Amino acid sequence: MALLNRMDWYDIARTTNWTPKYVKESELYPDEMCGSMGIPMEKWEVYDEPYKQTYPEYVKVQREKDAGAYSVKAALERSRIFENADPGWLSVMKAHYGAIARGEYGAASAEARMMRFSKAPGMRNMATLGCMDEIRHSQMQLYFPHEYVSKDRQFDWAHKAYDTNEWAMIASRHFFDDMMLTRDAISVSIMLTFAFETGFTNMQFLGLAADAAEAGDFTFSSLISSIQTDESRHAQIGGPVLQILIDNGKKAEAQRQIDISFWRAWKLFSVLTGPIMDYYTPLEHRKQSFKEFMEEWIVAQFERSINDLGLDKPWYWDQFLHDLNIQHHGMHLGVWFWRPTVWWNPAAGVTPAERDWLEQKYPGWNDTWGQCWDVIIDNLVEGNLAKTYPETLPVVCNMCNLPINFTPGKGWAVKDYPLEYKGRLYHFGSEPDRWCFEQEPERYAGHLSLVDRFLAGQIQPPNLAGALAYMGLAPGEIGDDAHGYSWIEIYKQMRMKKAS
Amino acid sequence: MTTKNIATADMNNRVGPVMRAGELADAIIEAAREDNPGKEIRVDDKRAYLRIDTDDEMILRRETIERNLGRPFKMNDLEVDLSSFAGRIETGPDQIRFYLLKHI
Repeated sequence: MALLNRMDWYDIARTTNWTPKYVKESELYPDEMCGSMGIPMEKWEVYDEPYKQTYPEYVKVQREKDAGAYSVKAALERSRIFENADPGWLSVMKAHYGAIARGEYGAASAEARMMRFSKAPGMRNMATLGCMDEIRHSQMQLYFPHEYVSKDRQFDWAHKAYDTNEWAMIASRHFFDDMMLTRDAISVSIMLTFAFETGFTNMQFLGLAADAAEAGDFTFSSLISSIQTDESRHAQIGGPVLQILIDNGKKAEAQRQIDISFWRAWKLFSVLTGPIMDYYTPLEHRKQSFKEFMEEWIVAQFERSINDLGLDKPWYWDQFLHDLNIQHHGMHLGVWFWRPTVWWNPAAGVTPAERDWLEQKYPGWNDTWGQCWDVIIDNLVEGNLAKTYPETLPVVCNMCNLPINFTPGKGWAVKDYPLEYKGRLYHFGSEPDRWCFEQEPERYAGHLSLVDRFLAGQIQPPNLAGALAYMGLAPGEIGDDAHGYSWIEIYKQMRMKKAS
Repeated sequence: MTTKNIATADMNNRVGPVMRAGELADAIIEAAREDNPGKEIRVDDKRAYLRIDTDDEMILRRETIERNLGRPFKMNDLEVDLSSFAGRIETGPDQIRFYLLKHI
């Protein structure tokens, strides 16, 4: 039977905006869920999705994608990645799966909101496929690590993390709940699909795939790069929305939403992606530095697409470029220092060869973060392991929920960005973090950071044991140095050589 | 694809697909060269993915991809390995186009 060419029926098949007879338009599309900013229905009907896909095509293509990813997994099941990979690489996988797998189900809910409440029919179609994409992502990223659970309990956090109050998870959830679960359809299309998925997901799903291929983990590389082919399509939901907003005088609001989402994504990636690329991935397998991947994906590709749409750089762009050199080093130092409080084993990544690499990629590293690591290394060389653990709590930002940190050593310029709102004093790690809060204070005001909860007496007993219990970290799951401190041997030898 | 000065890295006109490595990516590189005569086609091989780009506009035709693959190919099957792309996209049954509206 001859099939009609797709474009002969595509337009008529998506013309699904009917005039409701039994309810008012405002009841069918309540503004809290649609967020159409007063732009009338007919203006939304000009929406033309640039990346077209029909349902039969979708099913065929997705089947092929799944067949590819699952067959790579099956073929390499006996490659003993778990036994043979560097412990730092296992930590990359643990951090990735825990922070992301269940969040994909949240993204399915966000796509479902666009599917139901978008006034543009083409957008509803795209979001239908996007919703199924995200379910696929969650299921695969729960299934793939499952084979490791019996070998290492930390892999159980692929599923468990989202149900806990572990601090990095609180930060992740605060961001993803903000972008995906508590916004109307139009805001989701801007903040999730445009700002997050055409930009940052490329870092975690393609940049990291490059490192995975270098590390010989082709199962993980194939999995995450396959996931990104879905993102590549459904991330295009936001572009035409932005065009409609600009054409109808709503550019400032569109820009504001991009600026919030971009900054929040950046902060989360500075703790998640930065350390795994520049410290956990074994030196010989690093394809590029975190900063170089950010330049490729976020500056050269994503910012260029913002420009082409007629929008502006986020107002804090210069600070963002500056922070690309520094922020994630402080995050990494903090994660390693507070290592019992994470569900993976952070790799220190500071052997002399690694420090040379860091100095080359980030000139000045030895004079700043290097000085902090010198103290840790001295303590480890002298056998004072207890001195390499924290005795106090960090100050946590009330927006990103991550420790407030600045460049140590010669570059020391620490600053708090406080704000008093309705009698409560909030602390922020930067001006953009405070600005995000100020855009919609009521959205964020009631949230307590982990440290706020500690000080409010919600964590009992008020010590490390109480905190670990509160965070759901059981014995066997509590993080420790990825290499069991074996990397300190080279410093001991250097010390002995110097002494002799 | 890193530059000496990150502050100006966004001042580019690069457009084109980022493909997962494999036979389709190889066919796309050939198609990019054939379907965009006179344009410099750059390939940045990151092992897991290949960034294939040129300036301002890139067209990839189904027939050219078929010829390079040596088998029938539907344009939307490109999605199986199209992990990302630079610029805007326009998808059709016989060709796909990556482009920017503004040249800078």
